[in-house]
Order: sequence, then C-alpha cells, then structure tokens
Amino acid sequence: MFTIFGFTFREAFSRKILLVSIIIAAVFLGLFGAGVHFAVKDIVKSHNQMLASIIYPQLLLFGLYFGGFIVSFLSIISSAGLISSEIESGNIQAVITKPLSRCEIITGKFLGQGVFLASYAVVMFAAISSIIYYKTGMQFPGIWRAGLLFMLQPIVLMSVTMLASVLTSTIASGAMAFMLYSIAVVGGVVEQIGYLINNLYLKNGGIVSSLIMPVDSLYRKIVHIMMPANNPLSAIQQMGPFGASAEPSVWMVVYTLLYVPAFYLLSVYYFARKDI
Amino acid sequence: MNLAIETENLTKMYDGSVGCKEICLSVSEGQIFGLLGPNGAGKSTLVKTLVGLVRPTSGTARLLGRPLGNVEVRRKIGFLPENFGYHEWLTGRQLLEFHASLYKMDRWSRKSRIPLVLDVVGLTGSEKKKVRTYSKGMRQRIGMACALLPDPDLLFLDEPTSALDPLGRREVREIMQGLKERGKTIFLNSHLLSEVEMVCDQVAFIKGGSIIDQGSPDEMGADGAVVELHVDVVSEGLLDLIRPVARIVSSGSNTIRAAVKSREDIPELARAVVGSGGRLYRLAHEKVSLEEIFINLLKEGD
Repeated sequence: MFTIFGFTFREAFSRKILLVSIIIAAVFLGLFGAGVHFAVKDIVKSHNQMLASIIYPQLLLFGLYFGGFIVSFLSIISSAGLISSEIESGNIQAVITKPLSRCEIITGKFLGQGVFLASYAVVMFAAISSIIYYKTGMQFPGIWRAGLLFMLQPIVLMSVTMLASVLTSTIASGAMAFMLYSIAVVGGVVEQIGYLINNLYLKNGGIVSSLIMPVDSLYRKIVHIMMPANNPLSAIQQMGPFGASAEPSVWMVVYTLLYVPAFYLLSVYYFARKDI
Repeated sequence: MNLAIETENLTKMYDGSVGCKEICLSVSEGQIFGLLGPNGAGKSTLVKTLVGLVRPTSGTARLLGRPLGNVEVRRKIGFLPENFGYHEWLTGRQLLEFHASLYKMDRWSRKSRIPLVLDVVGLTGSEKKKVRTYSKGMRQRIGMACALLPDPDLLFLDEPTSALDPLGRREVREIMQGLKERGKTIFLNSHLLSEVEMVCDQVAFIKGGSIIDQGSPDEMGADGAVVELHVDVVSEGLLDLIRPVARIVSSGSNTIRAAVKSREDIPELARAVVGSGGRLYRLAHEKVSLEEIFINLLKEGD
C-alpha cells in the first residue's frame, strides 16, 4: 500500500495538469493580490470604515470561492483517471498481478492523491488568507478549522471522482464529477437566494444538493467560521452568491466526514469485483 | 511431478458470452507450456483469469499449489501482459524499482536483481533513459525485465516477442530455455507457432473458449503424419494391404508414402508390410508442423 501511496503522490507531481493548476493559481493569486491591493488602497484613502467593513469580507469571500474552485478543478481533473486511465493504458495489469490486494491499491491511491490535493489546498488557503490579512488586517478567529475544511473540499470531490473512475472511463468520470460539482454550486446559490427571500422550496433544494455533493456547504461553513455573525454588519457581509446567509449545521460536517469514507469503501468494493 | 498450474472446469462468461469455458489444464513444474488459438478464442481471457485480472465465473484453479486469488503466491509469479502499459515518466531503472517494491523485494534483492534482469533483457546502459523514449522492442524488453524481477517460479508471457526483431525473439527463447533449465515453469501465449514449436514441451489449442486438443508438439505431430516406408519391392498386393490403414500418397519401386490418421496407425502400417511377407528397411514419419496441426484443428471445428 505504501508503494502505491508514494507512487501516486509522486505521479501527481509529474502530471501536466499540476503545472497548469500552478499557473492558473499563480495568475489567480496575482490578480487577486493586485485587486485586493488597489481596493484596500482606495478604501484607506477614503477613510470610510463602514465601506471597509463591507468590502474587506467580500474580498475574502471572493478569494475563498474562486480559490476553492481552482482546487476543485484540480481535484476532478487529476482524479478522473486515477483508476480508469491506468486501466485504459494497461498500466494496472502489471500492478494488480503483484503480491498486493486490490484494496491496498485503492487505499494507496486514495491516500497519495488525497495528501497531494490537501497540500495544494493548504497552500491556496494560506495564500488567500495571507493576502487578506496583510492587506486589510482582518482577523480570522477559526482559521485552523477553516483551513481543515478547505482541505476537505478537494478530498470530497476526489472520493466521488475516484468511484466514478473505478466504474467508468476517464472522460465519463470527469464529466460526472463536474456535473455533481455544478449541482453543489448551483444548489448553494439557490439556497442563498432561498434565505434572502425566505423561500422554503429554494432552501430545501439547496439542502438536497448539499446531500448529493456537500462541497458547497463546506464552503459556507468555512465562511461562517472565518467571519462569525458577531457584528451588526454580518447580514450585509454575507450577502451575495459568495456569502452564507445561514450557517450549515455541524451535522452537515459530520455527514461530509462520513461521505468520504463511504465513497472510498464503495471504490474498494467495486474495484475488488472489476474485471480488467 | 508437482503441478505449477492446475485448472478444473475454469469458466469465464462476459454478460452471457463465453470468455473461456470449462478449461481443464495441468502444467507440470519445469515445463514450457504453449497456449494457441485464433484471435478471440479465449487465450487472453484464460491468462487474465489465471493471473487474477478477471474473476472466474465458475471452476477452480491452483497456481504453485495455492488457490487462485492467493496474494502471497504472486511473489513467485511473473507476468508480461500483451498490452503492457508503462509509466512513461519514469526511467527504466525507476520502473524496475517500482515493480521491485510492488513485489516487496528487500533493498539487497533489488540491488542484485535489477542489474541482472537489465542485462538478461539487453537493456544495460538504457536504464537511465525515460521509458517514453524507448522503442517498441525496448518497451517489450523492459516489460520482460519487470516480469523476471522476482526470479519467478511461474512466468506468464502473453505475446512476449510481438514487438521484437528476429534477434530479440531468439534472445527471448534463450531466456525461456534458461529458466526452464533452472526448473521454472513458463506459460506462453503466442501467435508465433514456429516459436512455440521450438520451445514448448506441451501445447493446448483453444477455440471458442474451449480447449480442443492438448499434448506435446511431437506427439500431436504424429497424428495425421505422412509415413515413408522403404521396402524391398512395392506390389499392388502390398498397397491393398496398406489402404485400410492409411491413405496412399505416392508410391515408387521400393518406397511408399502413406498418410495415417493417428500415430496409433503407424505400428499397424508396419505390421501390414511385414505380415504380407515384405521386407521393411526403413519407416519414418514426416513431422507435421504445429501450424498445419493448428489449421487442421480449426478446420475440423468449423
């Protein structure tokens, strides 16, 4: 298992998709940093504290949302072929016939890919938080908890994509994961609107989408941890598609923590029965 | 003699269609066993079932005395798949290191085995190059090196020479012969009948997922062979005595060429000549090539 773990981790660094993701992340962080720099400069000049209290959190939300999107993009693209591309290329044939169980192969790949994605997410989260902290001076009370949940986002997507990769082709598993991710994103926005106009159907729609793919509810939880509703401007700060009008419950986090091993176990189960 | 491979009614069905059906094989240790059959006959399915890539639908099999699916026995099994895939971003050496760690070989074994297998397959000096730069033949060689890493007691080779030039094929034959001399068992799946004929102790023909014949190439070659008899004189009476036993192909003043249906007819032929009072100086059967046997078997089944 440790051989597969180490190999998967190393392999992730050898893929072109990592280079693409690093370039995208660098461009994003550059633009984000520049945007934050000039926005803060203007706000400081205007000496408008109220404006600062509204715009600074919005800048953080924007960074976390799109930073999370890039991490999710890498997670799906790099996990879509985790098993299927190995089958398609024939690489897996010489691996499965070695003295290790199929469960060890899945576990090694899951851990190798998971550690790689979590590392990428941590770097992204640290970069976004640092830019906001150094430019605005905003304090983040639950940054460690938020960072852990940010790390969990790509792992949730990876666990689903990996199962799809066991069951279908690389293209199909990538497409399936993107669809699920889209459901989560759209569901999250629908839920936000539901809270804004107090519409139960929209709220429930968002909850259902979070049960199908809990990535977006993780994001809303991160937002609430980093920007707790402890000031009169909280409602305004949390408005818009990137905010979180209602904090997802701790049970949603528990659900997500169970969601990942459930998909891992399904991958183990189906891979053990798969004809290569 | 112990059996390296033993299957009993091994069957693999794919959504109702036959992959391989009720395969009963016994391959003794120290043999080179050849599996022959046309495309789609079930050769690869059988190999994949034996090495654990597909799960049998029914039946049982034992490899080196252990039931199919036993993980530990795989330490002693090498496998070169037909479509061997490569992690192209690795160098040849790194690929072998990876496979050695999959075999759970210790550091010392790796240090000694990797240069050895590189030498055996003729890739010494190319181990630092990326696999993506390797030619087709070199890729087949590195695949062979991976299969040889644990010094396997049982080696499955699925079309091991398809990408090799004649020299490379000869080298692979020599590797197989060398392994056999050391008591290793080789299960060879190849389209190259002449190659199989040269190295295999036993062969089996598979068609439509079922084994239709098996035995040693020499024994099988005797069935349907043409026998040449040298006698003192060929008379019409002698030919009449031979006809019930064999089909006369040609006859001269003192030679007769006759085709027998099975090797059991050869002593009958000799008896017919001697029984008629003729003097038999020489009896030799012309060996039928594996290719002819293969084609005849396929025709019989149609």
